[in-house]
Amino acid sequence: MKILVCVKQVASLDEEFELGGDGLSVDPEFVEWELNEWDSFALEAALRLREQIGASGDEVVVATVGAEVAEDGLLGCLARGADRAVRVWDESLASADVLVVARVLAAVARREQPDLVLCGVQSSDAVNGATGTALAGLLALRRVAVVKRIEPEPEGRALVVERELEGGLLERLRVKLPALLTVQTGIFEPRYATLRAIKQAREKPLERLGPGELGLSPEELSGHAGARLVALRPPERGEGAQLLDGSADRIAARILELVRERVG
Amino acid sequence: MARDPKYDILFEPIQLGPKTLKNRFYQVPHCIGAGSEKPGMQAYHRGMKAEGGWGAVCTEYCSIHPESDDTSRVSARIWDEGDIRNLAVMCDRLHQFGALAGIELWYGGPHAPCMETRATPRGPSQIASDYELNIFPRYMDKDDIAAVQQMYVDAAIRAREAGFDIIYVYGAHAYLPFQFLSPFYNRRTDEYGGSFENRARFWRETLIKVREAVGDDCAIASRFAVDHLLGPISIEYDKEGARFVEYCDDLVDLWDFTVGDIAEWGQNAGPSRFFEENHEKPYSGQIKPSNHTNKPVVGVGRVTNPDTMVAIIRSGQFDIIGAARPSISDPFLPKKIEEGRLDDIRECIGCNQCISRWEIGGPPLVCTQNATAGEEYRRGWHPEKFHPAANREKSVLVVGAGPAGMECAMVLGKRQMSAVHLVEAEREIGGCVNWISLLGHSDGKPNLHRGTARGLGEWKRIVNYRQIQLDKLRNVEVHTNSRLSVEDVFTYGAEIVIIATGCRFATDGLNAATHAPIEGADATLDWQLTPDEVVKGTKQIGKRVLVLENEGYFMGASVAQKLAGEGHEVTLVTQAKEIAPYMEYTLEAPMLHRDLHRLGVDIHVYTMIEKIEPGVCHAYNIWNPAHKLRFEVDSVVLCTARLSNDELYRALKADKPRLEREGIEAVYVIGDASAPRMIVDSIFDGHRLAREIDSPNPEMPLPFIRERRLWGDSGNEDYLAQLRNTADVALA
Repeated sequence: MKILVCVKQVASLDEEFELGGDGLSVDPEFVEWELNEWDSFALEAALRLREQIGASGDEVVVATVGAEVAEDGLLGCLARGADRAVRVWDESLASADVLVVARVLAAVARREQPDLVLCGVQSSDAVNGATGTALAGLLALRRVAVVKRIEPEPEGRALVVERELEGGLLERLRVKLPALLTVQTGIFEPRYATLRAIKQAREKPLERLGPGELGLSPEELSGHAGARLVALRPPERGEGAQLLDGSADRIAARILELVRERVG
Repeated sequence: MARDPKYDILFEPIQLGPKTLKNRFYQVPHCIGAGSEKPGMQAYHRGMKAEGGWGAVCTEYCSIHPESDDTSRVSARIWDEGDIRNLAVMCDRLHQFGALAGIELWYGGPHAPCMETRATPRGPSQIASDYELNIFPRYMDKDDIAAVQQMYVDAAIRAREAGFDIIYVYGAHAYLPFQFLSPFYNRRTDEYGGSFENRARFWRETLIKVREAVGDDCAIASRFAVDHLLGPISIEYDKEGARFVEYCDDLVDLWDFTVGDIAEWGQNAGPSRFFEENHEKPYSGQIKPSNHTNKPVVGVGRVTNPDTMVAIIRSGQFDIIGAARPSISDPFLPKKIEEGRLDDIRECIGCNQCISRWEIGGPPLVCTQNATAGEEYRRGWHPEKFHPAANREKSVLVVGAGPAGMECAMVLGKRQMSAVHLVEAEREIGGCVNWISLLGHSDGKPNLHRGTARGLGEWKRIVNYRQIQLDKLRNVEVHTNSRLSVEDVFTYGAEIVIIATGCRFATDGLNAATHAPIEGADATLDWQLTPDEVVKGTKQIGKRVLVLENEGYFMGASVAQKLAGEGHEVTLVTQAKEIAPYMEYTLEAPMLHRDLHRLGVDIHVYTMIEKIEPGVCHAYNIWNPAHKLRFEVDSVVLCTARLSNDELYRALKADKPRLEREGIEAVYVIGDASAPRMIVDSIFDGHRLAREIDSPNPEMPLPFIRERRLWGDSGNEDYLAQLRNTADVALA
């Protein structure tokens, strides 16, 4: 069984940060990069499924659309047990939106021909929650979103999954493979990689491809964008709180004043 | 990052007589075990606080004359030229960092037994000390009074020469000036006793004389316990306390207020077990708001929260935030507030380990939160600087995230080891602190005197601080809920393995007194428990409980408090002469005893259990084993020996060929897993290993500077050269 896990290296910001000169990004000095938490759970689900089904020739492949900074995340996935990694990038993807990313991942998926594609429900930085589902659409795959539990059927050609709805309601579905699932956090406790595994990860295959090598042209890609970022700015601050101090009488008098001023 | 404007008030200068205090952070006088005879330790411990931004830093109590000698407790001394020379090192270092230097001129009277000098202390009346054993003062006639006042003056002149900016006449903690003021000590019938003015006369005259001698050049301060906490028989804050402040207000440039005395000093240096932050507010915090003074006031209360500090100043409680313990825990507290790095502040937990060393008499101070306290000079350790390890390309596995493991991993991370993995078997890091911090409560009701058992929640700061620091370190990964087997460790891939797996309580009654188990002791049974089982609530506990306390610190007593507070009938038994003897040193004993007595805990000392049967414990008096006792109980808590969880360590070491094959170059063991000890010492152990991970033989601590006289030589050149190359403190 081959499982493709799509991951993203996400930006994590300090409490205080500044925007970049272009007004469309955060100044890199204030950004730290880490693997998207949901994708970590998706990878764990893939690794566990592989352990459960356990046939020879099983492979877990991780793929990402990201700049060089994303290789740390891929190495982490390889250290935790993925067999191979693929990173797709060139400058034309710098402003890629959800649909463009999905198109690139679809090209990777067609190349890999997995039995199962796993994605995280959403990324913690962009929070669109759309990439996995868009990918399923492009690949015409059966898909279930926000999966909390995955059980393979004994013959391994279908999965029984549970998804979490409002009010603690669970929906149980049977999905035939090939399929795509978007995975919710908490599905399993993610394993961590030992120091040895981290060292050995560097020896596992990590392919770096440009979109051209997947048969995608820049015009084709930008033509499929669903949205374009025009501005990024912090929310406006409210007036803040005003501290009243003094004796109880003084404060009471002041409150009365304020109420009269504001409420009339 | 920048300072939050709401803290600006903490950085406003304030005038103290002829001196300007640059901000409101003031290290009040406190002991460290250095005195004038370890000038390096004195100067570098104090200097670290100045470097960290404290506006003024004081010595500990400083004897003005050989008649005021507290040996074996360590005071500073300013008796002669040599002391001037030694204390000048401290002054110079403080001035280098822009801080004022303060000296607390002290004459102890009968509280200072003069065990080294063999002099005779003098006092206002011949009443033996309520703190020391069998020490009487010589009654002071007018000549004695003049002589002692001259001692203050001479000491003040020496202090000025040494470079001190703030000179105290010290009348808190029931030392001499207070002994004159308080009718508890002063039974005189001349003009130095009787009426308020008469009793205040000695102190007032001393202030006048000291001011006359050095007041143009130095700020004159006085430390005053505004309330003795003994009620009308002594000084009360709203009566003679306030009155005295008004009476001498014109003579001081700075008031330093406390409460209590030396006999129960824990009412002032209140441990967190019994006192909350800013606990002196109802006493020392009332003087200024009630307008009894026109002078700047500094006060204490184990204040660690910057917002509390702001509130204290804004509300007029004090002008200046005084701190001893919070400055030991984090010498860089002011700088961190200034730089907007509040989450880097290492908050004092109020365990009073620092104080315990002074109480024992002799050892240098320690600090649970700050392992570098006391090590600034003799080991060159800086709390905020960690030079990169020479072997930092090595990767490290630390097994166990209790106090030792967390500290070790944190320091290794700060020393830029390429990869540190801290792996913990439980779901949360913190080790024993997680359950120990749940102790310390009883029934929530106040004691007859001040101090309600409020629990050890503040001890959890040990974990909070390290969690934050570990999160920030990119080269450190923390993994929880992962119990590593020997095989897991062998194949982990680390070149350095550090075992920090803690300890467990013996279940068979093995104890330090008899070196043997106790017949019938078996905490695997459901009616016998170890202390951690009591806290974790894994077993039912019957109505009548016997707690065998054989450990010496807080564990047995705290378990007794908890169970009594929950309504059990508790019998607390120890073979020692008192329960929880170490708590005398941490100043927690008086409040603990009051709580246990209030709760009706039945305490038996000098008593050892010889046999445990269902329903009854058989005991004997250690002075005569034929003197038997019988306790009928439903449950038994065995607080006896602790045993290192060192199985993992021993198994690794037993297979050296395998270690070599797997590329493991070194295996170390730290903390309780090495030998059970107090938390402060476990943290130190982990810290030390990390500081010395790149020394030729990290398992063996490097030598530290001993400030001693070498026969025929007056220098400190031994080890100094070696230490200068690796110290993070710039040693002169």
